[in-house]
Amino acid sequence: MSAQPNDNQQLAERVLSKVQSEGASGDLIIDAGESLSLKARDGELEEYKVTSSQIFGLRIIKDGRVGTAYSEASDSDALESMVEQALINASFARVEEFEKISKSDDTLATDNALLCPTDAVSIDEKIQFSLDLERKLASMDKVKNVPYNGVQDVTGQRQVFTSNGLNAQSKSRTCLSFAYALVEEDDVNAMEGLGQAARTFPSLDVDALVKQVHLNTLSILHGKPVPSKHYDVIFNAETQAEVFHVFASMFSGKSAKDGVNPMRDKVGEAIADPRLTILDNPSLTDGFGYALFDAEGTATDKLALINQGNLASLIHNSATAAYFDTHSTGHASRGPKSTLGVGVHQLEILAGTDGDSSLKAGTYLELVNLTGLHSGANPLSGNFSFGASGYLCKDGIRGQAIRGITVAGNFFDMLNKIAAIGDAPVWDWEHSSLMPSIRFSDLAISG
Amino acid sequence: MLNNQVANTVIDHALSLGADFAELFIERNQVNAVNSLSSEVQSVQSGIDFGIGIRMIYGNKVLYGYTNKNDEAELKKIASALAAKDLRDPTTSSTSFNFIEPMELHPVGLPLSQGSEVASKVAYLLKADAAARKASNLISQTRGICMQRQQAIELFNSEGLHTSDTRHYIRTSLTAIASDGSEQATGSRTEGGLQGWEIHEHIDASATGDEAARQALVNLSAQPCPSGRMPVVIGNGFGGVIFHEACGHLLETTSVAKKASVFHDQMGEMIANPAVSAVDDGTLTKEWGSINIDDEGMQTRKTQLIKDGRLTSFLVDRLGAQQTGFDRTGSGRRESYKYAPASRMRNTFIEAGNDSFEDMISSMERGIYASHMGGGSVQPGTGEFNFAVTEGYYVENGKIQHPVKAATLISTGPAVLREISMVGSDFALASGMCGSVSGAVPTSVGQATLKVDDILVGGNA
Repeated sequence: MSAQPNDNQQLAERVLSKVQSEGASGDLIIDAGESLSLKARDGELEEYKVTSSQIFGLRIIKDGRVGTAYSEASDSDALESMVEQALINASFARVEEFEKISKSDDTLATDNALLCPTDAVSIDEKIQFSLDLERKLASMDKVKNVPYNGVQDVTGQRQVFTSNGLNAQSKSRTCLSFAYALVEEDDVNAMEGLGQAARTFPSLDVDALVKQVHLNTLSILHGKPVPSKHYDVIFNAETQAEVFHVFASMFSGKSAKDGVNPMRDKVGEAIADPRLTILDNPSLTDGFGYALFDAEGTATDKLALINQGNLASLIHNSATAAYFDTHSTGHASRGPKSTLGVGVHQLEILAGTDGDSSLKAGTYLELVNLTGLHSGANPLSGNFSFGASGYLCKDGIRGQAIRGITVAGNFFDMLNKIAAIGDAPVWDWEHSSLMPSIRFSDLAISG
Repeated sequence: MLNNQVANTVIDHALSLGADFAELFIERNQVNAVNSLSSEVQSVQSGIDFGIGIRMIYGNKVLYGYTNKNDEAELKKIASALAAKDLRDPTTSSTSFNFIEPMELHPVGLPLSQGSEVASKVAYLLKADAAARKASNLISQTRGICMQRQQAIELFNSEGLHTSDTRHYIRTSLTAIASDGSEQATGSRTEGGLQGWEIHEHIDASATGDEAARQALVNLSAQPCPSGRMPVVIGNGFGGVIFHEACGHLLETTSVAKKASVFHDQMGEMIANPAVSAVDDGTLTKEWGSINIDDEGMQTRKTQLIKDGRLTSFLVDRLGAQQTGFDRTGSGRRESYKYAPASRMRNTFIEAGNDSFEDMISSMERGIYASHMGGGSVQPGTGEFNFAVTEGYYVENGKIQHPVKAATLISTGPAVLREISMVGSDFALASGMCGSVSGAVPTSVGQATLKVDDILVGGNA
């Protein structure tokens, strides 16, 4: 790290003391990180990247007006300038009746042994892992090359200090590996990729990743479109998590306060199939979204979002909670460069009662890849249209591989078009969510 | 921003570790953002980014590191750490720096360093908000943003290059939300350029609000889009995202050098309909994707990518030139000091033709007129791309019928380039952000209205 925690505490005390001397209250986020990333090509290391960074993000409230500013420099002049800029910015802002600095003076810290474990893997061994990943995948049947691959070891630390005395620290480590294979046969090609993540490097498995990427890519190589009509669809774990996260703003108390959440007035109402229960569960330690406290230092807890089909709660920070006359749910989010918002930690969908025999009965599409999620979805209306690939399946058996199709629908309608919910939840590390397979009926497929 | 002597010492140190090439990229980035919501100022944010990126090249291997500090010891420490596994006898000796002042192609009027002009930006956003709300009582909310950025960069490299530049970016956007009680829909309008806040003298806040509201109201009345293969007429301006995704990314040596582009071995060949000529041009005055120099210090230029359907150039950065043998095109770009540069697009567009809009529409028995496009993505290895229609209309028997919603267009780059059969004369550029291996960089897309004879439309009807 660029500075030790104690150094940062002294810096934070100086910054927040200056804030208070200006008649304001405030909180300061200090994010720091270190990373190593490696990429290989044609049997040799192509990129070796080492980074170290630190950033200070200040939010001040003066006369009910909120201002934010940030700095990547930690010298006295830069930090003083950051305070002055935040005060100027606040002078232009509207009065935010409900936004306050946390009154907590707690000292909080996450468990480094759990979230930031160490191991004895050397840099040489990580380089060898990177080379093995590319070499082994490139040597597989029909693989033309491995254009995108990498290994990363990332450690991030966040400290939150407030003028009321809160001192909250969290530190976590993520080890990642990923690879994309370009396979080709008879002038037909396909590219698929996959990643894996763990908190320690020895938990990464190069052979398992190579095998799965190769299998996924080869399986889809000769895929063709299916006729355009409505099908039952089962998304795989990754794509289902992607879809739910694209529309997760339906739970946002901030969007509701801002008048851009169609679920704003529907808390307590039935909005989904009664078999569907969705939680946000930050206490599941297997996920990378595990969190003891949020960006305001509020303790997190398991929260029902949809309970047996009824919208049970929105997610709140202290400001949105005050606006709706409720309590913070521990979902405050804020980065050093951003204003106070809300965000889910780890979505969990409770297991249903359908085993494979009912979940996968008859004909359906299994979609394993979606494209255009950033542009093809409208979280406000719920409408979406994505590129997709997968398999035409019957009674749980994959048949024709499918490429070059789109899947379209309305997410809010989809929640009421659930044909079955599987009984075996699966983690998706990328979105840190735990969900069983869900069979959605009647989605429009174009091919 | 960095003392010459410090730069010299660090570059010499990198060369002493055996690097073939060493480079320092110093960046100071000043940002100011004004956000409006509910006809009020929601927030004003500002900040300073500062960092130094060190790139060392051994053969085709890139070593890259960065830090927020600018002292010699820290920079040498990073260089040593990067080279720890590649130490070898020096192959290159340092030369003294020769400072090159880049040609200023985009003079600025009101830079951020002279003031953030918050009051003026607030006035602009609230005027746009008022215009949108005045358009209809169905407009239930608006969101506005005015983002200004001043990026100062300085480069030193082991070939003796020392240069610097300051880029001034401005972008304003208003999103309007229309609601009829049961459905909600959005519309937006964005303006941007490589310039300062003087842009407000050339853009009309009321027109911005009117346009955002108009699109939201159109989308509120839209019907589910039919699906299947059909002809599509794509509107000008941001419609050019089709070329950006379908072809532009596939011409970057970042993909070409890895043979991860379907066009990697097709230089000089016909890859598009003869109606298509395409350009990537960093010289266009004050355009969003323009630059004076790229992030490797090379003067920007205009690059003819496709001429009358034939592939004439790739987009080539330093490493891409080394790996493919093609000349550099001033296309080395990166989001910030946190990224090594890669070959990237600037202002990329299909050149105008002579076909009329009426002829394009009347030539369709059943199809879609996609007047406004959203973002998209591409898989370079296969050329498979997708992009979203943000305002579209169903066309039947040569006549525009009604608005449609939630449509995506998918195809492959090689296929769609052959299907562009008509190109109009109403050329326009539009600003966007392009994400790739070296982060998100400002790029413009552009085209005149054009017709694609056959493409898959994904709708919900």
